[in-house]
Amino acid sequence: MWWSNLFKNLSPASFFNFSFLPKYGSYFWKGIAYTLLLAVVSVLLAIIPALLLAMMRLSKNKVVKGLSGAYIAVFRSTPLLVQLSIIYFGLFGAVSIPRITVLGFVDISRFIPGVVALALNSSAYVAEIFRGGILAVDIGQTEASRSLGLNAWSTMRLVVLPQAIKNVLPALANEIITMVKESSICSMLGMVELMFAAKTVASTTYISLGPYVVAAVIYFCINYPASKGIEAIERRMRRGDKQ
Amino acid sequence: MATNNELIRVVDVVKEYNKGEVKALNGCSLTVNRGEVVAIVGSSGSGKSTMLRCLNMLEVPTSGHIYFDGVDLADKNVDINLHRRKMGMVFQHFNLFPHKTVMQNIMLAPVHLKLKTKAEARAKGEELLKRIGLLEKANEYPNMLSGGQKQRIAIVRALAMEPEVMLFDEPTSALDPEMVNEVLDLMRDLAKAGMTMVVVTHEMGFAREVADRVIFMDGGQILESNTPEKLFDHPQNPRLKDFLSKVL
Repeated sequence: MWWSNLFKNLSPASFFNFSFLPKYGSYFWKGIAYTLLLAVVSVLLAIIPALLLAMMRLSKNKVVKGLSGAYIAVFRSTPLLVQLSIIYFGLFGAVSIPRITVLGFVDISRFIPGVVALALNSSAYVAEIFRGGILAVDIGQTEASRSLGLNAWSTMRLVVLPQAIKNVLPALANEIITMVKESSICSMLGMVELMFAAKTVASTTYISLGPYVVAAVIYFCINYPASKGIEAIERRMRRGDKQ
Repeated sequence: MATNNELIRVVDVVKEYNKGEVKALNGCSLTVNRGEVVAIVGSSGSGKSTMLRCLNMLEVPTSGHIYFDGVDLADKNVDINLHRRKMGMVFQHFNLFPHKTVMQNIMLAPVHLKLKTKAEARAKGEELLKRIGLLEKANEYPNMLSGGQKQRIAIVRALAMEPEVMLFDEPTSALDPEMVNEVLDLMRDLAKAGMTMVVVTHEMGFAREVADRVIFMDGGQILESNTPEKLFDHPQNPRLKDFLSKVL
C-alpha cells in the first residue's frame, strides 16, 4: 500500500511506527469483536444476579442483607486480575470445558471462564446501580401499591422495578463501557481480545510501541462516542420526566 | 354499642419511633361505624396522619389493636394484604404510577389480584372515569394531568377495588387552591353515596359540612371527638380552642 513507505525509516520503538498495520490489521478487527463480545455478554449475564443482590441488600433480613453486602464488598475491594486468576485457575481448573471454537475466533474454553469472572465482578457493581435505582423510586409508590393490597413482591415487580430500571439504563450502559476497558485484563489469560492482539503484534513484529498506540486509539474511538451518546440519551430522558 | 354497625375499632394504639424517643401516638382509641364520615383535624405533628396510616398498617403500631370488621390487623398472623383490598387510601401526593396510563393505574390491582377480569376492570374503570368526567384521559399518562385531575384519579383507583372504607391523608394539601374544590366535590359525593370515610384534613369548612364526627388530635392523643357543630362551636379542650382560634 502506498502509505507503507511512510514507516520505512522509523525505528521499531517509534510512537508513529504503524508499519504492521497492512499485514496485521485483521488481528485488531478480531480483537475488537472479542472485546465487545466479552463486555456486552458479561454485563448482560450480570443483570439477573445483580438484581438479586440489590434486593437482598434492601431486605430486612440481616443474614440475607449481610450475604449480599459481603459479596459486593469482596468483589469491589479486590483487583479484577486477582479475581480473574482465581476463577480461571481455581474454578475452571477443576471443570474442563472442551476447546470448541465458535464464530471462528472465540475458543469457549477460555471465553467462558473469562466471561464468568467478568460477570461475577460486574454484578457487584451493577447491584449497587440497581440498589440506587430502587431507592430513587419514591416511597409513596410502594405505599400506594401496598395500600391497594398488592404484596411486597408484586409491588417490586409491577411498580418499583419498571421505574427503577428506566432510571438505571444510562448507568448500565456506562458499565458496559467500563467493561470494554476492564476486559483488557483478560489478555493476561490468553483471551484474544483487543489488548491481546496488540501484544501479539508487538512481539511478532518487534515494533514495541505502535500496536499499543493503535489499541489505545481503538478503545478511545469505541468508548468516547458511546459515553457521549449515553449522556445525550440521559438528557433527553430527564426532559421527558419533567413534562 | 352497636357492634354490628362498627367497621373499625382502634384500641389503645401507641406508635413509637427511634426506640421510644419519639411518641407519635400515645394511646389512641376510636371507632368508625359503617357509612360514617370521620374527619381528623389537628396541627402538623399532632399524629393525625400516623393515626390514619395505622388503620391500614402502613405504619405498624408499637402496641394496641386495630380491629377491622372484627379482625385485629395488628396481629402478626393476619394477612394484611387481604384486608388492605377493602380499605382504599388516598395520599397527599397522589402517588399515581407514572409508568402506567390512567386506565392501567385503575386496572392494575383488581386484575392482578384476580378480583376482576380485564374486561370487567376496564368497564368499571370507564364507569368511574365517566362519573368524574375524565373518561377522555383514560389512555394518558399521569404527568399529563393537573394536580386536581391526578387526585381525582387516585380516588377512582382506590374506588375500583370497591372498598368498604376510604382513608384520605390530607388529600388537598398538595393542590393549587383553584383545584381544591374539584377534589372536595368528589369526596362530598362519595360521602352522600354512603361511603365510610376517614379524612385527615386541614379543610375545616369541609370537615364541618361533610363529617358526621370530627376528632381533634394533639401530641399523639385524641383530645376531643364530637359532632362538627359541637366541636367547632363549643370546643371544650383548651388546646382545641387555641387551635380553632388560629385556623378559623
